[in-house]
Amino acid sequence: MVDVILIGLSLGSILLLIALGLAITYGAMGVINMAHGDLVMVGAYTTVMAGIWLHLGFLASIPLAFVVTAAIGLAIEKLIVRHLYGRLLDTLLATWGVAILLQQAVRLEFGASFFGRHVEGLGSGLQKVDVPTWMTGSARLLGTDVNLYRTFIIGVTLILAAVTWFIMYRLPIGTQVRAIMRNPKMAAACGIDVERVNAMTFAYGSGLAGVAGVMMSGFKTVFPDMGTPLVVDGFLVVVVGGVGSLFGAVAASGLLGQINGVVAAATNDTLARAVIFAVVIAIIVLKPRGLFSYKGR
Amino acid sequence: MTAKRQFEIASYVLFIALILVLPAFLGEFWLNRIAKYLVFGMLGVAICLSWGYAGILNLGQGLFFGLGAYLMAMSLKLASNTSMQQGSDTPIPDFMFWNAEPGAKPDLCCITKTSFLWIPFQSQWVGLVMAVAVPTVAAAALGAVIFKKRIAGVFISIITLALVLLARLLVIDGQPLTNGFNGLTDLGSFTLGDFSFDSYGKPTYYVVATALALVLVGTRLLVETRAGLVLQAVRDDANRARYLGFDVPNYQVFFFAVSAAIAGLAGLLYVNVAEFASPTFLDLSFSITMVVWAAVGGRNSLLGACIGAILINMAEAGMSETQSLVESWRAIIGLIFILVVLFLPRGLAGLADDALGALLGRRRGRSVAASEPDAVHASSKGGL
Repeated sequence: MVDVILIGLSLGSILLLIALGLAITYGAMGVINMAHGDLVMVGAYTTVMAGIWLHLGFLASIPLAFVVTAAIGLAIEKLIVRHLYGRLLDTLLATWGVAILLQQAVRLEFGASFFGRHVEGLGSGLQKVDVPTWMTGSARLLGTDVNLYRTFIIGVTLILAAVTWFIMYRLPIGTQVRAIMRNPKMAAACGIDVERVNAMTFAYGSGLAGVAGVMMSGFKTVFPDMGTPLVVDGFLVVVVGGVGSLFGAVAASGLLGQINGVVAAATNDTLARAVIFAVVIAIIVLKPRGLFSYKGR
Repeated sequence: MTAKRQFEIASYVLFIALILVLPAFLGEFWLNRIAKYLVFGMLGVAICLSWGYAGILNLGQGLFFGLGAYLMAMSLKLASNTSMQQGSDTPIPDFMFWNAEPGAKPDLCCITKTSFLWIPFQSQWVGLVMAVAVPTVAAAALGAVIFKKRIAGVFISIITLALVLLARLLVIDGQPLTNGFNGLTDLGSFTLGDFSFDSYGKPTYYVVATALALVLVGTRLLVETRAGLVLQAVRDDANRARYLGFDVPNYQVFFFAVSAAIAGLAGLLYVNVAEFASPTFLDLSFSITMVVWAAVGGRNSLLGACIGAILINMAEAGMSETQSLVESWRAIIGLIFILVVLFLPRGLAGLADDALGALLGRRRGRSVAASEPDAVHASSKGGL
């Protein structure tokens, strides 16, 4: 039973890592970033490439992936999203275009061949990345074998969630972000540089996606199309948790991760996903604003 | 009659005339391809109706298309030669034999656990009717729940998105009933008396073209009725419409169901033209792609959305067959999406509208903001 709970927890952790970035960009800025899942994919590829080109280890890839995806996120914000604030559904469509571009960029560069170019060790479907040996084993805890890598994922997620909470609720920049969430015009009138804060928020959220990608690369295959199901999962978490609620994202990812883990253990993965979708639909129908939406005006 | 109105009628007449005279110039191969694009054009109309006119961004329109396609395909599968000649009393799809338990009775009643669901589909008319009726009823039921609960904006998008993915998983998981990943292939042709609709034949093309013409004219007239006007009022400000005493959910449910019926019809026609039904119809990317077609063509113009869908599909096909673009056409399509959203928020139809306005020497005062309902922002940002 403990191992099932742990699997659920680690699934929930990955979900949370993905959803945190989405929750910030969607909740704070009203941007539906359909390219978020592909930023996760970029993070995963960064790990792969860092290993092959730079001989960097798994741990060193974490900050690297954060920087790479944050930079891409910043570029997306500056080039595209900046023009679309206030047009929620248009951000969805435009970033879907970005998602296609990112997928294709990776496919062109790393696919089997492009203009006769071939990158060693890479194909359209990659093996998973090797995690350090001390992380691969398991330890005994409460009478059951506990997978160390899953524990590591949970740890990283906890740290990042805490950092995000600290930034949002204890630093001046967080106060500005939350002011923009409530009322961007009023925030601007109070002297907050809305453009700059929005760009930084978007970059931070994208960076979190990159870290999620590193974690994913440790136990799933890395391939160009891996992003779409991830962004869907992230969205379900954000919406179920309640838009704009960090706590909601944490609770929803924990809940959905556990459901997934338990159902998958009892039946199979496909059915587990189906149950997740059904639960999400039921929750939205029953609580259209999500489980933990804060009271608006 | 204003000049704009005349122009609009002229463009509908021109478009319908164009698709109806094409068989005079094109061979069977091209007719079959164009017929597929026309089906996608019909999907553009369905999206435009729900998104542009009702303000409901359905990210799961593929569900209704897929339902229509699968239900039609079930009947055509049973009518195919391989299903007829299995040496059993009833026609049995070949994959059911492959998936059957050893010793199962080779009859639709019980060859696999749920195969009895196929029994009514021995009549192709059942498939034909169900392909439109089931999506319509499903959308009406879904809409009744969603709209009575006053779920709006992006939350509808998430529900429909989850629903189409749920359906996709169930179809794939239901291997014995649906042939899972492989979908329904090797289908027979729809037969009327002694005449059989060959997917490459001119009659099939005419059926598709006529259906599209009827759908276009029908929806155009529909949005001009009183109900259509109320619907647009709901889109622009649901609360105001509510205060004026309109029963808002009823209008939304009705148009949501009409949109689903059109998508189901498109699925039905697609199966007759392409001769397969597959779980890819239920992919998220397909549903979002439909929305983008409508965005490129013009989300507020039924004809625009239709033409947008056709043009993008022609461009895709053209590029994917051009040697130098074989690797990058998908990226080009992605780029087109971004550029259109950024620079042409009203799509090609908006461009045509502006051009006409300039031609007539009048500026149309419709702003970008007007093209997206305010209600969507308000309700989707958690009441901010």
